[in-house]
Amino acid sequence: MYRYDEFDQAFVEERCHQFRSQVERRLKGEISEDQFKPLRLQNGLYLQLHAYMMRIAIPYGVLSVRQLRKLAEIARRFDRGFGHFTTRQNIQYNWIKLEQAPDILDELASVGMHAIQTSGNCIRNTTCDPYAGVAIDEIEDPRVWGEIIRQWSTIHPEFLFLPRKFKIALTGAAEDRAAILFHDIGIRIIKGDGNETGFAVYVGGGQGRTPVVGSLIRPFLQKKQLLSYLEAIMRVYNLHGRRDNIYKARIKILVKALGIEEFTSQVEEEWQKLDKPSIDLPTKEYQRIAKYFEPIALKPAPIEDEQVAARRASDTKFNSFMRNNVRAHKVPGYVSVAIALKEPGKIPGDASADQMDAVADLSERYGHNEIRVTYTQNLVLPNIALGDLLKVYDGLVAARLASANFELITDIIACPGLDYCNLANARAIPIAQDIARRFGALEKAQHIGPLRLNISGCINACGHHHAGNIGILGVDKKGTEHYQITLGGSPGDDASVGSILGPSFPAEELPQAIETVVSTYLSLRENEKETFLSTYRRVGKEPFKHALYDSEPSNSNGLSDALEKV
Amino acid sequence: MMPKTKPSIMTANLLRSGEVVYLGANDTWVRKIESATVAQNEDELAALEEAAKQAFEAQLVVDVYAMDVEVENGKTKALSVREIIRAAHGPSV
Repeated sequence: MYRYDEFDQAFVEERCHQFRSQVERRLKGEISEDQFKPLRLQNGLYLQLHAYMMRIAIPYGVLSVRQLRKLAEIARRFDRGFGHFTTRQNIQYNWIKLEQAPDILDELASVGMHAIQTSGNCIRNTTCDPYAGVAIDEIEDPRVWGEIIRQWSTIHPEFLFLPRKFKIALTGAAEDRAAILFHDIGIRIIKGDGNETGFAVYVGGGQGRTPVVGSLIRPFLQKKQLLSYLEAIMRVYNLHGRRDNIYKARIKILVKALGIEEFTSQVEEEWQKLDKPSIDLPTKEYQRIAKYFEPIALKPAPIEDEQVAARRASDTKFNSFMRNNVRAHKVPGYVSVAIALKEPGKIPGDASADQMDAVADLSERYGHNEIRVTYTQNLVLPNIALGDLLKVYDGLVAARLASANFELITDIIACPGLDYCNLANARAIPIAQDIARRFGALEKAQHIGPLRLNISGCINACGHHHAGNIGILGVDKKGTEHYQITLGGSPGDDASVGSILGPSFPAEELPQAIETVVSTYLSLRENEKETFLSTYRRVGKEPFKHALYDSEPSNSNGLSDALEKV
Repeated sequence: MMPKTKPSIMTANLLRSGEVVYLGANDTWVRKIESATVAQNEDELAALEEAAKQAFEAQLVVDVYAMDVEVENGKTKALSVREIIRAAHGPSV
């Protein structure tokens, strides 16, 4: 993985020094809150409901053991012993004091981390497939480009005062696991003619108030031209994106207003005017960065392990873990292990300092020093030898990190909501906990099958509810918390925005409504292999609407009946 | 007689720590909502707003605003879900 060179390190330290001085001047009153706020935001510091929240960048979701241990230490020293992994592969601490923020940034700098541009109207953390570099369907490792984009976008002098925030995601595999079509710019590595790979570039995807799937702007872009092409897109957006209305300021609004053809033509025109050689990455520099991402030398081994097989036969929990959380690796004899931070009843995406240390220890011993963060608020150990899997699993069990519900209904993606966030209209966490408890039994969740359930506490959609197979949006209805259900969203290659089902439900009725939605699916699916999303796409929303709004309330037995057959 | 408004108090976050506070007696900022000074009319609210403004300018607090409350059996209570959560100084979970 990438290591800071002396320039990177000097830059981050200089930034810490600069921010420390800004904080001191703010505390003395030498700069006003209005002047300070954009500076604080560009260093990832929000003022939330109860305290300051700091959002730390985890570039393209990759962490070293040393970095994860530092995050645990920060949780202990400066927070309340835990951190929250986010839907953009970052980490947030909820209980930060402004006066301590400079010390925290210094600690982060010591391990090559920062909180730069995790907020504000600038280019944010570029996110990536959590299985980058190890996936069996990989075309090319996208992490190199994640690092290149990071370096290009960090304090890019032209793009620090955009009309609004800007989010980029990239994928390098056959399957998109980075939700690129819901980003301002989505980049997919594809095969071109001959042996050459290049990029398919998408633009104008997003969620929030106006969810939209991104449009293809360039079917094939040569890799060496990525940065100049991105600059062309950014320049058109920076010039023409709206600044009069924050709800209409994202690039998706501009793309929609102009139409993709006109937008594309403006970008191409801008691109022709740019001095590409001065922007595009020289081959030598590309090679220097790419070297950091060379595959680890792993020795292929048998894809079957007797002890693993024996344990599967004797331990049903481990069997489920193997089935749901463990994924094949491009090197035979290795696997990637997903750590679901979603124990039913716990806060989705939260990890205690002890748990972070436990994961760091496992990665150091068995995981080749690397950990990944997923945008579904989970972690991954990408490189585990099959022969070490049982030791890793037992280590996870001991740390209460062995929930075998990865990508199931209880692997809920939820924003912090009104319990923590200033922008929220309703709470998300207690809803997530209630739903997770109802479906908590693993047999139940497995019987239901793969299902993305997302909860957002407000229309900003940080919980990505628009892309949920089941999406839940918290709204304020005359002072009480209500929840609207959407169905049929999908974040992947078949990206779609969920459709609102009907009137919202008060908090106390919402979990039951979700049970009704699930029991309706179970009663309609063709067989166990037909996922929730497939069934919904086949039957449409009417059966679900009918079940929720037209039926007698005592449909509450529906789910138990359906699951008795399990 | 001054027109009556809903009883209200001033709230903010401490600049240094981000902690939720309320304007209490003698222009001090307190953690407990029960200790907040309640304005019963517009004049009283204006006085609280002035004191709060001075605290903002003295780099003590940020995000200052007035909020409605109800006073039940002499005890001041927040009205909205958001303010109930803020007054509890922590998440509901």
